[in-house]
Amino acid sequence: MTRWAWVIDQTRCIGCHACTTACKSENEVPVGVFRTWVKNVEVGTFPDVKRHFAVLRCNHCAEPPCVDVCPVTAMYQRPDGLVDFDHEACIGCKACMQACPYDAIYMDPESHTAAKCNFCSHRVDEGLLPACVVVCPEEALLFGDLDDPTSKVRRVVGDQVTTVRRPEQGTRPQAYYIGAHSATLDPLAARHDATYMWSERGAHDHRELVPLTRRSTPQEPARVAYDVPRQRAWGWPVSSYIWTKGIAAGLGILAGLSRIVDLGGARATDFLAPLIALAFLTLTGALLVGDLKRPERFWTILTRPQWKSWLARGAFIITAYGASLVAWIVLAAVGAVGALIVVAPVVVVLAALTAAYTAWLFGQCEARDLWQSRLLLPHLLLHALGAGSAVLMIVVALRDAQVSAALRGVFLVAVLGAGAIALADALGRHRTANGAAAARALVRGSPSRLFWIALAIGVVLPALLVFAGVVGAVVAAVFALAGWWLHGHAFVLAGQGPPIS
Amino acid sequence: MSKRSLHPADDGRMQSGFAAFPPVDRWDDWVERGRHYHLVPTTCFNCEAACGLLAYVDKETGEIRKFEGNPYHPGSRGRNCAKGPATLNQVLDPERILYPMRRVGARGEGGWERVTWDEALDDLAGRIRSAIQRGEPNKVMYHVGRPGEDGYTERVLAAWGVDGHNSHTNICSSGARAGYAFWMGMDRPAPDYANAQCILLISAHLESGHYFNPHAQRIIEAKQRGATIIVMDPRLSNTATHADHWLPTHPGSEPTVLLAIANVLIRERTYDREFVRRWVNWEEYLRALHSGGPPIFERFIEELERLYADYTPERAERETGVPAATVVEVAHAIARAGSRFSAHNWRAAAAGNLGGWMTARCVFFLNVLTGSVGTEGGTVPNTWAKFVPAPHARPPHPTTWNELTWPAEYPLAFFEMSFLLPHFLKEGRGALDVYFTRVYNPVWTNPDGFSWIEVLRDESMIGRHAALTPVWSETAWFADYVLPVGLGSERHDLASFETHAGSWIGFRQPVNRVAAELAGVAVDDTRDTNPGEVWEENEFWIELSWRIDPDGSMGIRQHFESPYRRGEKLRVDEYYRWIFENSVPGLPGAAAEQGLSPLEYMRKFGSFALPVGAYARHEDVVSDVELAQAVVDPTTARVYTASPPAPSSNIAPLPAPAPDAAGRRAVGVMVDGVPRRGFPTPSGKLEFYSTTLATWGWPELAIPTMVESHVAPEVLDSAAGEMVLVPTFRLPVLIHTRSGNAKWLNEIAHTNPLWIHTSDAERLGVALGDLVRVTTDIGYFVLPAWVTEGIRPGVVACSHHMGRWRLDQGKGLDRWSSALVKLEEHGGRWRMRRVRGVEPFSSRDSDSGRVWWHSAGVHQNLAFPVHPDPVSGAHAWHQKVRVSKAEPGDRDGDIEVDTAKSHAIYKEWLAMARAAPGPDGMRRPYWLLRPLRPSADAYRMSDKPAPSR
Repeated sequence: MTRWAWVIDQTRCIGCHACTTACKSENEVPVGVFRTWVKNVEVGTFPDVKRHFAVLRCNHCAEPPCVDVCPVTAMYQRPDGLVDFDHEACIGCKACMQACPYDAIYMDPESHTAAKCNFCSHRVDEGLLPACVVVCPEEALLFGDLDDPTSKVRRVVGDQVTTVRRPEQGTRPQAYYIGAHSATLDPLAARHDATYMWSERGAHDHRELVPLTRRSTPQEPARVAYDVPRQRAWGWPVSSYIWTKGIAAGLGILAGLSRIVDLGGARATDFLAPLIALAFLTLTGALLVGDLKRPERFWTILTRPQWKSWLARGAFIITAYGASLVAWIVLAAVGAVGALIVVAPVVVVLAALTAAYTAWLFGQCEARDLWQSRLLLPHLLLHALGAGSAVLMIVVALRDAQVSAALRGVFLVAVLGAGAIALADALGRHRTANGAAAARALVRGSPSRLFWIALAIGVVLPALLVFAGVVGAVVAAVFALAGWWLHGHAFVLAGQGPPIS
Repeated sequence: MSKRSLHPADDGRMQSGFAAFPPVDRWDDWVERGRHYHLVPTTCFNCEAACGLLAYVDKETGEIRKFEGNPYHPGSRGRNCAKGPATLNQVLDPERILYPMRRVGARGEGGWERVTWDEALDDLAGRIRSAIQRGEPNKVMYHVGRPGEDGYTERVLAAWGVDGHNSHTNICSSGARAGYAFWMGMDRPAPDYANAQCILLISAHLESGHYFNPHAQRIIEAKQRGATIIVMDPRLSNTATHADHWLPTHPGSEPTVLLAIANVLIRERTYDREFVRRWVNWEEYLRALHSGGPPIFERFIEELERLYADYTPERAERETGVPAATVVEVAHAIARAGSRFSAHNWRAAAAGNLGGWMTARCVFFLNVLTGSVGTEGGTVPNTWAKFVPAPHARPPHPTTWNELTWPAEYPLAFFEMSFLLPHFLKEGRGALDVYFTRVYNPVWTNPDGFSWIEVLRDESMIGRHAALTPVWSETAWFADYVLPVGLGSERHDLASFETHAGSWIGFRQPVNRVAAELAGVAVDDTRDTNPGEVWEENEFWIELSWRIDPDGSMGIRQHFESPYRRGEKLRVDEYYRWIFENSVPGLPGAAAEQGLSPLEYMRKFGSFALPVGAYARHEDVVSDVELAQAVVDPTTARVYTASPPAPSSNIAPLPAPAPDAAGRRAVGVMVDGVPRRGFPTPSGKLEFYSTTLATWGWPELAIPTMVESHVAPEVLDSAAGEMVLVPTFRLPVLIHTRSGNAKWLNEIAHTNPLWIHTSDAERLGVALGDLVRVTTDIGYFVLPAWVTEGIRPGVVACSHHMGRWRLDQGKGLDRWSSALVKLEEHGGRWRMRRVRGVEPFSSRDSDSGRVWWHSAGVHQNLAFPVHPDPVSGAHAWHQKVRVSKAEPGDRDGDIEVDTAKSHAIYKEWLAMARAAPGPDGMRRPYWLLRPLRPSADAYRMSDKPAPSR
């Protein structure tokens, strides 16, 4: 077998950035993005201070989360361990950027597809060493086959103490570092400031500036002196997608359930609720497709799905849910109300899956520990229920000038439940430093304003108003919907807040 | 016969089955991703190291796809720094100048029109011809940045009979060069890092300096073997961070630490006594200063102990901030290394301080004490590792002396007093008819740039200014002609640099021309294959020389005629062909082994390692032929011979110790009864006591000692908030003003904030990113603060490279790296303000629309007055400054300067100089190196009085 690996010897690295430009040259990497870069961190106090370097890039993980999450096999692992990408297949969903815990993947501004270090696979396949290895003045970058007993990487990994980046992510990185200071490899150990020692952070760099941990003690201050700017992968379209999808799912659940259990007048929404659900589901699809960097390729999710990816699975779930809604609407339109009892359980299950699968998708985003919370699944379900009941309350209030207590009750339970989970998630303990840092960003960082407003207008106000007459219920519903969007957006932003490289 | 690749990972050495480069036998047709390439070697034209590059020239389109290293280059060994691959950016830069241009309207107003090379050549040639015929050859001046070549252009100037060479060296390395030269004649060290056991760097060779990449390779090799690395720098450089001992001395106090180390070596008697006895001119010292007693070595030792007794480690701690224990520890590491002690002072302290040259003199003192001069793992005099092959025709030395570059006030100046030119012109010391700036940007790079603008604008001071440059520069904006010359892949140059213990030549080539010739297309002119009408200077000079002397009557043309076709115009390939066939030992044979002619060999491999040894040349015994006609001076033991020097094809400039009274050549020195080659100094030995300094007005500085810097702690009024500004440090990814056209490099580095220690920032109430105002003696500049632990408290630093500006939105400087500024002047009071920072722009390169950085940094050099060191002539870069929070209305990049103040400071420093004539009515000691050395007669001062002050 062949098992390609990097050895990166920081005891030799002089921070010259030759690897950076040689890579840009070899792979025609555009301005603004990097396949490899050299992070600089200053550690200590004068005169006991050092500037440490770390050459950062794709680790070619033995268990690459970017490959697992890719819906179309555009990111793939070869039998020799090399993790490569396919510009022709990528749809630009950016899920791989959320899955990679090492910031190794970027969206190429020319091709609008994902790219990263691929060991210079075109060279490797011709028997040439990667460009960075060749240019390095210090032999600090080694490439080779860990299964080949004569290779230099094998000897070095055998003889010397090596570390890998963020082993807690369980990806089994195949980039082995020698002599790297922990403050360079641990993304949270050194503080980032507004600028670096010879460069700007970049106006679009999204990472949080607030201190996210207390690990950088005054005795051993560590400050990032050089780093490259990062693209934020997901923004308002994803936050909106969660919101529209929640509404669509919630309405389906409620419509289906109301066929089974009487929720007080909700049955009158047999036609309207699924129709609105379908509208929001369509909007969801539009947001998803619109957020792709290559939207014209969206259909390839269905034609060449990568079944491990919850993005691919989700596409099928949404499609199936949409089909069930259409069936319902057709049956309701032709007056076959009796048949709805057969469709209802299918709609409820698919709607619940539609609401829930995002938790498993976010669970595949190995880079975003906040999103991997076990509370996300119940939160999404409560969110769907709450959002669905909110829309339903508005609809019935407009139509009947009254809202049933049962519906108000479902709404209140969902609002309070989701609010409690949001608070618990933000303020509770997190298993990883990245998760804790993201939670800190949520309650203290730049998304915190969104977060606290969301709780105020999305939980407190609705709880107080929901039983205050019809107007109160409608106002409560509107505020709750707004609050859910704000919270979702804060959550999406905060998850991407902490530096991960 | 195959040649072995010098890359350590090539040919399966890292991973079996894997190479670092395509095999050389396929360089003529290498296929990669479906495209066919010629692989043509050349050398990098960014820093002076001239590392090897390998250009991938697309056979179909002629476009260069990329640059890799050259695995056959002995200095760089197939590897490069960030600037090597970024050469591609420079070649493809949408902002580059492709056609010659002539100014329209007043100089500096910004009007330009396209002009033909012929028009420019005729105008310039006419003016030069006229100046020479009028008997004013020195009204022609060639001002060069880093030349990147050996001897070509000096030969041109010599052929014209013009003492018009002007360099940048006095704002760069000449301080250290002087310090080395007063010891050993040769002015540069070539440390044998790879074999060293202890390395002392007063430089930043792991990130910059000559020769960054080749040196960095070898320093890290030594470190990996266990060598001790010592770095002296007030700022935590990337070099200092690799050090076992970082000595963040107060700027200017470096000699005190070095002499304290000497003190330990002397006191503990761990120096190399035999080496000192045999190779130091201690007898001369005793004769000069202690003529009463017997000339025995023990007395000298007593003197050494006495002279340096005060330089204790405790004193070093008091005066420099380096703990005494560290000094002792470092001294012990140096003593343990003995002859394997490599040391290097490059720029740094030597370029920063009044008396900076003494830092180099003190650091070499440690080499002398440890006997690590010319040893394996020690420090080798550079010319032992440098080979400059002779061309076919060598014009005589110019017979005139240029007072504008070599004024009488600075007889020991190690290079031209280039940075004083604006002041000399303002004083009416002379004027120029034709002024070439060649890949040089004094308006930006030199101190006091506004004074440069003032004289460049004045046509009565400078009649014609032609800027030979691949890109726009702040200086080119004030030219009459902007003449586009080639980048590293668009020109011929031949260079040899002392990167290690071994000699090599590297061949820079116009790679498209070479590829075309390989494809069977005859090319007579490099313009035919370069982008646009970009030319190479070599052909330009040949053409210009023919137009100066079209019929050969002036004796100039003959030097530019073909050695192969009598009376015909020299072709550039013939120039190099002759050199490779006749002047490079071993090359014809090596070429024959490959079945190639010497020129074909160099075109194919791009470099050649010469089979000459670099160690212990001073121990060589004088040849029998020379001894046959030799005499030994009974007092000095200097050996003189009447026999002519053995012919050598290496014309690397060497010092020229004076002949004896009978005119016999100094050829060696008697050491323990054996006539050895020794060193090219007056004594033939290493000059602990410099008779030159003693007799040219500086007896108090004749031995290694301490000179108080203009930024010494005693000079600073720290109560008033005065600090030292270190403005010279360089970044690994940029190179002066040559890299503003490389997008990948500017993307990495584009700001130059003020490095300030946390405690100083707290005192001033400044947080990271806050604007501060730095006030110098002539003005101020405004920039953000980088608050860091990586600098000595009391010292601030600002990196070189940044602060590029242009006066026109669309042209004048690369938009990757420059700000649009507004410039105002009222009677010598100048004000610069940034109008727009760096922004995305549209061009044929889509990357230009993706520029994400905004700052262009601040052009700090504008706010510096000139500080000519009275001995070495080098500019002392460090500034005594006041740092304060920015004032209301201050903006990032603001600069204000009063050039009347800068002229007054020039006068203050000029008053410190001790003018020629020296002994025998000489302008300058003849033996010292001098670029474009004039004839011996020109060294005699005329009877006319020295210029008025």
